[in-house]
Amino acid sequence: MSAAVDEAGARVAEPPVHRASFGSLLRSEAHRFRSRRFIQLLLLLAVVGWVVATVIGLLNYGTPDDGDFADAQARIDEIVAEQQMYRDQCLEDPGIPEGTSPEEWCGPPATADDFGGPEAFLDKSPFDIGEAGTDGALGVAALAAALAVAMGATWIGAEWSTRTIVALLFWVPRRLQVMAAKLTVLIGAAALFGVLTQAAWLATAGIWEAVVGSTDPLPEDFWRTLLQTQARGVLLVVLAAVLAFGLTNVVRNTGAALGIAFVYTAIVENIVRALRPHWEPWLLTSNALGLVQDGGYTITFWADGPIGPDGQPPEYYLGPLQSGLYLGAVAVVLASIGAVLFAKRDLH
Amino acid sequence: MPAVQLTAVSKSYRRRGRPPQKALDDLDLLVESGGVHGFLGPNGSGKTTTIRVLLGLVSADAGGGEIRLLDQPVPSGLPDVIGSVGALVETPLFFPGFSGRLNLQLLAEAAGVSRSRVEECLELVDLTGRADDRFKGYSLGMKQRLGIAAALLKAPRLLILDEPSNGLDPAGIRDVRELIRRLGRDGHTTVLLSSHLLAEIQQVCDSVSILARGRCVASGPVGEVLASRGSGDVLVQIADPTAAAGVLQGAGFSVSPADGALMVHSVATPSDITRVLAGSGLYLEELRRVTPDLESAFLAITGDQPHDGPAAAGTPA
Repeated sequence: MSAAVDEAGARVAEPPVHRASFGSLLRSEAHRFRSRRFIQLLLLLAVVGWVVATVIGLLNYGTPDDGDFADAQARIDEIVAEQQMYRDQCLEDPGIPEGTSPEEWCGPPATADDFGGPEAFLDKSPFDIGEAGTDGALGVAALAAALAVAMGATWIGAEWSTRTIVALLFWVPRRLQVMAAKLTVLIGAAALFGVLTQAAWLATAGIWEAVVGSTDPLPEDFWRTLLQTQARGVLLVVLAAVLAFGLTNVVRNTGAALGIAFVYTAIVENIVRALRPHWEPWLLTSNALGLVQDGGYTITFWADGPIGPDGQPPEYYLGPLQSGLYLGAVAVVLASIGAVLFAKRDLH
Repeated sequence: MPAVQLTAVSKSYRRRGRPPQKALDDLDLLVESGGVHGFLGPNGSGKTTTIRVLLGLVSADAGGGEIRLLDQPVPSGLPDVIGSVGALVETPLFFPGFSGRLNLQLLAEAAGVSRSRVEECLELVDLTGRADDRFKGYSLGMKQRLGIAAALLKAPRLLILDEPSNGLDPAGIRDVRELIRRLGRDGHTTVLLSSHLLAEIQQVCDSVSILARGRCVASGPVGEVLASRGSGDVLVQIADPTAAAGVLQGAGFSVSPADGALMVHSVATPSDITRVLAGSGLYLEELRRVTPDLESAFLAITGDQPHDGPAAAGTPA
């Protein structure tokens, strides 16, 4: 080290003044994000999961031939005949109450359609992108949002556990700028992750449709509906990441933040649904469903009974816009609280 | 231009259910540009709080007090000068899963420092060979060296080092001290060295400030701080101490025996002793002014007492 010391003395003779810009800070944060082992592992597992899911789908979907349909028809005929036998026994039952006809008491004869038709009894049914495409996008968005929560929480949580965010202030003392850079990188990464997962779903659906898909025509407006659902799914992924980031930044601990998130979703929301059903429109998961699901989410207050003018229980409609604004507001509030506390507090 | 200037700065920490704890109490501190300035104080004296206040990590109490770093007010002017300030505060803070090189590269990218400078600093602290190892696998000394490398990345005009020798082996300590001395002499860098190793401060620093209970109780060149705590005692080695004691007492000196020698107390001018003894035909073998080392001065200044006997040591007059 001594030899190097001599060189150092010469090198620091004319020290340049270094100024951190927001752009350089963004580049540094993006570099750190993609260098994180958690992110690399997450992407690797996502790729492996995608391959496994695609293969499982290929093995479980299939194009049935005439023999498969004949087998399914035979099975459903057997079930219908069995149901008819039970009905016949019912019709001859002497215990049928007076004033009630045997047909009313035992119900109408069973048909194959009551059991979903022969298609429901096929061992392998074809994949129907027209039917499953939008629901699949919703499921992928939910899974990606859950992973985005882990992404957002660990992104800032690792900073607090190592206190490297304090060391960074020796380089960039503007605290809000530091927080903004971290949040910007997270939002960009979460959006990219959301787009990639939805693209992966499209690729999977495309492969299944091509190899083991049905020949039914796509419903009208299918692509518009699917792409809109996927876009809202990407938005949910971003909001989930920001929510987790904000919560973790407030409590300054990844484990605590993820614990709070788990308790909230697994316990608090279920308690609210059971004891205060009218509060459900304010729950995060209800709004997540309202945001992404095609047509929003309608909450039915069964406990209130049929009190509406049409004799139906009252309902509350959560549309994508309302749910998106609500989730966005919660995310902004949480992120802002964390940022303000970071800007104002003493750091040790 | 002072590198560091604090005037009447106070800082209190609120404590739940207890009265606030005053970490800094109207602290005045001045560190002139250039050289190595030592920063001493017992545990809890406010050294690290002072450094945190300087770096904007901790806010000083509102109302009164001025903090300037490289002539810029803190915290408002901090963004303008932080590019010229390198710091290692307490333990080095890095991502444990990243390599040493990647940790430095991330900091360099954030501040617009070139990658070649990263390699220079790794070489400087002798970590080039282990730069691709993960930080969490480093020994305490290697972590400390990486922290020093990070502090040097910006080739700072002001280098703030808080206990830089922590965890280093003797060779590492020697190299770090040599580096600090060299930086302090390069004409551009001011080093503020906080250390509990008094010998380190005495060896390396040109000037020193001593903190106690949040106040600066002594400050100035190391020699002056030591001299100000001198007792005026002079140690006299002579062939016939008994005779010499009699002569000196007869001339009005206060004298006591000291292991076969004589300790003459409160001497304003040591040459008077030479003159009096020579006038009586007694000739000196050795005459030393007794000055305290930094440890003694430090303990005296901060109000603590040495634990294991007198810590004074003689230096040749």
